[in-house]
Amino acid sequence: MNIQNSVKYTLLSTLSLAVLSIAAVGCGKSVPSTEALSPLTPASVDANAGAWKMIVLTGPTQIPVPAPVIKTDPGYLSELAQIKTAQASLTDTQKSAITFWSAGGVLRWNEYMRELAARQDLPPSPNPDGSYGVPSAANPFANPQYPFSNPPYAARAFSYVSVAQFEALKATWFYKYQYNRASPFKNDSSIQNLMPDSGIPSYPSEDAVESAVNAALLKLLFPTNAAEIDQKAAEQQQVALISGRASASDIAAGIALGNAVAAVFQARAGSDGMKAAGGNAAIWQQLADNAKARGEVPWLSQDGPPRPPMLPVFGSVKGWMLTPADFLAERPGPPPSTSSAQMATELTEVRTVVNNVTRDQLATVYKWADGASTSTPPGHWNMIAVPYIVSANMSEVRAARVFALLDMALHDSAIACWDAKYAYFSPRPSQLDPNIKVWTGLPNFPAYVSGHSDFSAAAADVLSYLFPSGAGYFNAQMQEAALSRLYAGIHYRSDIVVGMTHGQRIGEYTVRFAKTDGAN
Amino acid sequence: MPVFRFMVCIVALLALSPRDVKAQTAEDGIMLSKLKYCTGVFYSYDYWDHYWEGSLNRVNGNIGTLSTRTVEYTGNFAVTDKLNLLATVPYVYTSASKGVLHGQSGFQDLALAAKYKLISVPVHGIGAVRAIVVLSGSLPMTDYTPDDLPLSIGSHGKHIAGRGTLNYLGRNGLYLNGSTEYSFRGNVHLDRPSYYTNGHLTLSDEVPLPNQFEYSVSAGYRKNDTTLTAGFSQQQTRGGGDIRQQDVPFVSNRTNYSKINATLTYPLPRVRDLQYWFLYSNTFDGRNVGQANTFTTGFLYTFDFSRRAGTR
Repeated sequence: MNIQNSVKYTLLSTLSLAVLSIAAVGCGKSVPSTEALSPLTPASVDANAGAWKMIVLTGPTQIPVPAPVIKTDPGYLSELAQIKTAQASLTDTQKSAITFWSAGGVLRWNEYMRELAARQDLPPSPNPDGSYGVPSAANPFANPQYPFSNPPYAARAFSYVSVAQFEALKATWFYKYQYNRASPFKNDSSIQNLMPDSGIPSYPSEDAVESAVNAALLKLLFPTNAAEIDQKAAEQQQVALISGRASASDIAAGIALGNAVAAVFQARAGSDGMKAAGGNAAIWQQLADNAKARGEVPWLSQDGPPRPPMLPVFGSVKGWMLTPADFLAERPGPPPSTSSAQMATELTEVRTVVNNVTRDQLATVYKWADGASTSTPPGHWNMIAVPYIVSANMSEVRAARVFALLDMALHDSAIACWDAKYAYFSPRPSQLDPNIKVWTGLPNFPAYVSGHSDFSAAAADVLSYLFPSGAGYFNAQMQEAALSRLYAGIHYRSDIVVGMTHGQRIGEYTVRFAKTDGAN
Repeated sequence: MPVFRFMVCIVALLALSPRDVKAQTAEDGIMLSKLKYCTGVFYSYDYWDHYWEGSLNRVNGNIGTLSTRTVEYTGNFAVTDKLNLLATVPYVYTSASKGVLHGQSGFQDLALAAKYKLISVPVHGIGAVRAIVVLSGSLPMTDYTPDDLPLSIGSHGKHIAGRGTLNYLGRNGLYLNGSTEYSFRGNVHLDRPSYYTNGHLTLSDEVPLPNQFEYSVSAGYRKNDTTLTAGFSQQQTRGGGDIRQQDVPFVSNRTNYSKINATLTYPLPRVRDLQYWFLYSNTFDGRNVGQANTFTTGFLYTFDFSRRAGTR
């Protein structure tokens, strides 16, 4: 009996310990989907931002903003009364909206833009006959939905939104300090201030400008989400009002300015070459024929069924900081010939790496996979910038500058990278050696140069300029992102090494602009 | 307990697949008698070429046929006639017949369960009805990723579950069983800082897994260590998003299924206490799961410590 009992108690206590340790981790289901950010009190108001150099606009007054009425005007007084009425009966939803937007609209819209990119990051599904549909901007809800927000698409989208927002906010700052109208809570002491007092004049409202410019461009770029985008914009505008920061006329002027700036960028987006970036069957065939004529093995799609190459003419899309001649001048030299000894050596390295991959290397692969249903590498680098913007307590216009510079460099590196990919049309390792099995989704475009390497080097270069204290970290992230593609078995080392130096050169174009834009 | 002169082990590998980690559901109504230890090894082959992307049944040219092979050690120790303790240790291999994706392999999740017989009521000398409860849990044994589905070997999560079973076993061999389980699943962690599922981008590496409800019924013959039963089971996941069009599955997807299954056990002639097992299951309806066929086979051997302890 003693043996039985001791066995019984040992087993029981072991089991209950195990069950308790499982139960201890089984709690706490909820994971918040938005970032927890503190209310923004900028370290500097950046009162001279209206004089910072423009990128697309001719200057801060390209869009005229009429002077506001004086603060004793009956119309303005009734606007103040409207705020008091609203503040007397704030709902819980309104209070949490105030908390949400008080972190700064620039960060919130960037967060939402990455969500939209991830939502739309789905390749078309094959038809029964093995063909693939093409997303259509004219009919965005059809199957496949428009857009397929792949890395070049997302890079371009982020850059349009971020640059337009930056230009609009510089113009906003110009008029704010020209007219110097104080916030409603300063003009009427019975109005509460429910957001941090930045000391920045309220006309036109920066919140309204952000809501309008973001909404207009996001609806152009991610049209199936229009209803949700409008709802977000309306919420931000309402928060500006009920928090006591802006009056109805501050907001109306902001919306008008934001929409006018957005229209400039909508026009640019309509004629920047993106519509032709998908190419056609004749172009796809020509790319393969060109590679064969050079004596190289041409890239083949390894998707099942084979899929047309991703955006083969994206290399001709209009850049921000580089002209077409600049892009051509920066094009890297050719990859090792598919029949060369160096290629054989690099292929052997890929085979060895994938067959002996460590768990740490796989963690790097998964961290940087950035495949379907993600905000793609450009979105990943926007996410990396966020904590640096937050801890610097940047004004809205300065935070917008970071995203604009970063996303211009990412878009330019996307163009430059895609130009190289289709100039050389080089096969992936798993095409040259069918025994190579890969650890993440195989991208459906040529290998040379690596997109992750190119994007990451351009982004790390710009962020290191903006946040010198983070340079070591950004560089380490770049190395990790780039090498993750070797560990995954989808890139040769030369794709990565050349991609990094190439991306860094592309990033420098934006850094050179940033050094002279008046914001330093 | 002469009814249990032939003891039976409990190994219900009916539902083993990478996203369906329930190595030993302990769902039947039979108890092992005191101080016996039943142990063995099973081999399971699960495969599908069609799967449900949300509710759309389709094939995928980047997967072809997804195969999952599992070798599993299992053990059941009877502390008393009323309390059995069970453990399973699976090693899992996955592979895809088409496309370029690398398979995964490794030790998956250790599953532990305590099975307790609440009551046994004789029915007019023709049989008995038993009510049984099971408390079970699992935890990953290795650092495998749940973020490479459908090739990941599991969800890399911890869970605890409660199960209730009603069973009738007749002296003529009639076997009737009904069982239901609710499983609480802990959050899991990915190697990446954000993920999109169910309509939202979450800026965290932490993923809450929805809880799961499962029930099964089976009927057949069981006598003298020989079993032939057929059954039906269904799992419902209480939340989670669908696999989106042409997307890969995600660890917190709403995975539902309906299965039919059959179980055969047969004692080997002239080899005392050795039993051969064969199980088959077919997933005929589902959501965000493979339309799988699963074959499982193995041997179980029973040691009787009660003889050595001299209590019998």
